[in-house]
Amino acid sequence: MCSKHRNCWGGLVALTLLAFVASPQLCADGGSVQFRQQTGSIVVTLFGSPSPLRTGPADLSVLLETAGGNQPVLDADVSLTLRQGETHLTAAATHAQATNKLLYAALPDLPTPGQWQVTVMVERAGTHSEVGGTINILPGPPAILFYWPYFLVVPVAIGLFALNQWLKKKEAGRRRTNAPPKHYHWS
Amino acid sequence: MNSIAVAALGSWTLDVPVVALFLTIAAIYFRGWRRLTKLLPRQFPTSCLLLFWLGLALLFIALESPLDAFSSLLLQAHMVQHLLLMMVVPPLLLLGQPMLPILRGLPRPFVKEGLGPFLRWPALRGFSGALVIPWVAWLLYNLTTVFWHLPALYELALRSPAWHNLEHACFFWTAMLFWWPVVQPWPSRSRWNRWGLIPYLLAADLVNTAIAGSFVFSGKVLYPSYAAAPLGGLSPLTDQMAAGVIMWVPGSIFYLVPATAIAMKLMNGSRTAWRFPTRIPSPKEQTPGLVHRFLRWRYARPAMQSVFFIAAAAVVIDGLYGPRMSPMNLAGVLPWIHWRGLVVLALLFAGNLFCMACPFMLPRTAARKLLRPKRRWPAFLRSKWLAAALFLIYLWAYEAFSLWDSPAITAWIVIGYFLAAFAIDGLFRGASFCKYVCPIGQFNFVHSLLSPLEIKVRSQKTCQSCKTFDCIRGNEKQRGCELYLFQPKKAGNFDCTFCLDCVQSCPHDNVALLPVIPAQTIISNPYRSSLGRLSNRPDLAALVLVVVFGAFANAFGMIQPFTDFVSRFSGVAARPIIVAALMAFGIVLIPALAVWGCTILSEPSSGPNQSLRAIASTFAFSLLPIGAAMWAAHLLYHLATGFLSILPVMERLLHSLLRLPVQPNWSLAAMPFLPHWLTPTQILLLDAGLLLTLYLIWRIARDRMNRSRPARVFLPWGSLALALYGIGIWILLEPMQMRGMMMN
Repeated sequence: MCSKHRNCWGGLVALTLLAFVASPQLCADGGSVQFRQQTGSIVVTLFGSPSPLRTGPADLSVLLETAGGNQPVLDADVSLTLRQGETHLTAAATHAQATNKLLYAALPDLPTPGQWQVTVMVERAGTHSEVGGTINILPGPPAILFYWPYFLVVPVAIGLFALNQWLKKKEAGRRRTNAPPKHYHWS
Repeated sequence: MNSIAVAALGSWTLDVPVVALFLTIAAIYFRGWRRLTKLLPRQFPTSCLLLFWLGLALLFIALESPLDAFSSLLLQAHMVQHLLLMMVVPPLLLLGQPMLPILRGLPRPFVKEGLGPFLRWPALRGFSGALVIPWVAWLLYNLTTVFWHLPALYELALRSPAWHNLEHACFFWTAMLFWWPVVQPWPSRSRWNRWGLIPYLLAADLVNTAIAGSFVFSGKVLYPSYAAAPLGGLSPLTDQMAAGVIMWVPGSIFYLVPATAIAMKLMNGSRTAWRFPTRIPSPKEQTPGLVHRFLRWRYARPAMQSVFFIAAAAVVIDGLYGPRMSPMNLAGVLPWIHWRGLVVLALLFAGNLFCMACPFMLPRTAARKLLRPKRRWPAFLRSKWLAAALFLIYLWAYEAFSLWDSPAITAWIVIGYFLAAFAIDGLFRGASFCKYVCPIGQFNFVHSLLSPLEIKVRSQKTCQSCKTFDCIRGNEKQRGCELYLFQPKKAGNFDCTFCLDCVQSCPHDNVALLPVIPAQTIISNPYRSSLGRLSNRPDLAALVLVVVFGAFANAFGMIQPFTDFVSRFSGVAARPIIVAALMAFGIVLIPALAVWGCTILSEPSSGPNQSLRAIASTFAFSLLPIGAAMWAAHLLYHLATGFLSILPVMERLLHSLLRLPVQPNWSLAAMPFLPHWLTPTQILLLDAGLLLTLYLIWRIARDRMNRSRPARVFLPWGSLALALYGIGIWILLEPMQMRGMMMN
């Protein structure tokens, strides 16, 4: 098999490189729907990511659509307020912060877990409208756990290096075993 | 085009690290392909390059384009993304025959020493060979496709980015295996009959058709996430049916076309035999590259220096006469946000490019012409102790007087630099300012030991026959090296300002900017012209330790624990003293104790001829990568968060100087969020720094200290590197001041 598929390994190395590029980037955008409500002539959908939402940095994105034609509304000013007891956060939601430019994204840092009241305020053509709802925030991991795949690089690389050294040692041993004895003379 | 279409088409992710990785892979392939196409033109025609690049481009589109942004809202978009990942990108990449070009494009020692043992490992060769046996690849691919389209799993992937990553990685990987026997990229060979590939492809099409049919004919929404997120009035069921049609029709074409092509090829009986090349071009036939020709150009360096001189003059003028607020002033933005970050990145990814374009060379040149210096630099100062002390003073002054926040002080520093360069090189021969004084130069020299480019000789043979030694003596047209680096004996970049004098003076065109293995000379410790061996130079080791520990101290100065501690002591006068005490503790006392402790612990196992001084000096250099990584991670933070802040400053200058009708957009200097790729990139930089440091410690311990028991020498120094890594991670995960930004 191996002789017929020689250099297949080289191919897999190449593919590993490609997969290394591809895998971390293959992520979702927008998140899951938190609520969808109509206010006046506008339908407001709030998306949240990660799903379920956890304490720490979060992506809250708003989609505005016209109630009649379901056309995305792009020319509004959108802001979010989040309340939990005495805690009160305000965040501007903009196209600039969104990957999907049909959405308005805000990136608040949610400090505590529990139920949060969210109000989405929309200013458009001089009219103000707002919708509200509740989102549930779960406790989030500490930052060091949040970034765990990036810390994994070190032990994986050290493991590969150890394997590399072991293979080299094994190869050297095999070469010594296969070498002709010192007293052998070519005739 | 209406605004909705513009917004939709503008929804690109464009992460900087991803773009950089794609460009790196494209460049590695190109490097390898360019070499191979000269040896094997029939096997590696231009079409291979174009197909591979097209595959990469489509992979990039699948991952970073609006397709990805809309994939959570529209099943159709998600389906197109999957088709690209499974049916378009893999065959294109394989048609580029990527194995040899990528192996030839990577650094040779890395392939030989790093990948070689894995490539030759029989167990792994057998395993990889088994994965591309047609029935194995077919099963893996189709089971993966069916498995991930089950509603529960598809929903899981839509809810969680981590599962989504895994889903797409499974699709991409198994598709690469599936298309391998179909494309059979050269030089792999199959022992299976090619006729078998026709049922192989048709059976895969049947599976694809079954899944697509379930989308079209199910009559209910299979994935509830899409039911909750309709877009543009499109009903979720219509969206699902459209996705099914996309999977069915174009999906089938991707299987049927290759099946037909294979059948026709087999019926025609075409078979092209491979012939080994009869002639390999010699290196002399290769024309020198554009970069080398530019570097040989007489005015190359003055041209680069002029650009930097104009920038320095603009910083001085705006710093003295412009607004007092640093984010509004060129002197508060350009040197502290952009220049520092770009210098470190250039050092790590190219070489000492700043010294090459240094604007302070111009007053030095003027001083030499006007004053014609005769004296030599005082013997007692011919070391790096003064430079280490000056660098320490710079770090202290930066934090004690908030240099980054004062455009006027920044301007005076630049003026002071010009005056010092003029005075020192007007008094003393050679490049005394660069070699013994300039703190920026020392920072660059130290880090250029890790650079992948070096000014070095092409062939030692040519140097052996040289009688004139123009590279160091100079000639009537061009002076020789002012830092007394004799090219045939030069090793590494230390003390090299990339001034190009040697490149331009060599009559044999034998000195050039060439790629090298980063940090290799730290392991081998060769004799270096004008420097000797690094292990015999405690002054160089001290400089390295100040730079390494200074990286952590400088970043520590930006985080809450430091500002809290300093704010306990009231009064402006107290700050310089407190900072001085902290610096003395963090950059002098702690490193001295740590290095002393590691030296004492490793000395008993370090071999009979190793003095304590040599051990400490040798291993101090191995800490360089982790320090460089900390500098890079820290300065990348400022560069990424404040990159756009230069725009309103330039707009202000254009408005006030040229009366152009542009109004500064100051909101760009108050970026309200961090790029999401920043923290992972910073952690990866520290990971890389730690790994290279551990590797250097291991190699030095094994090759130069104790071949039989290197672990005993390795452990103390490895622990120190791990401790530095831990401190670095802690600093990076703390909220940092956005210096130079309006919100600060």
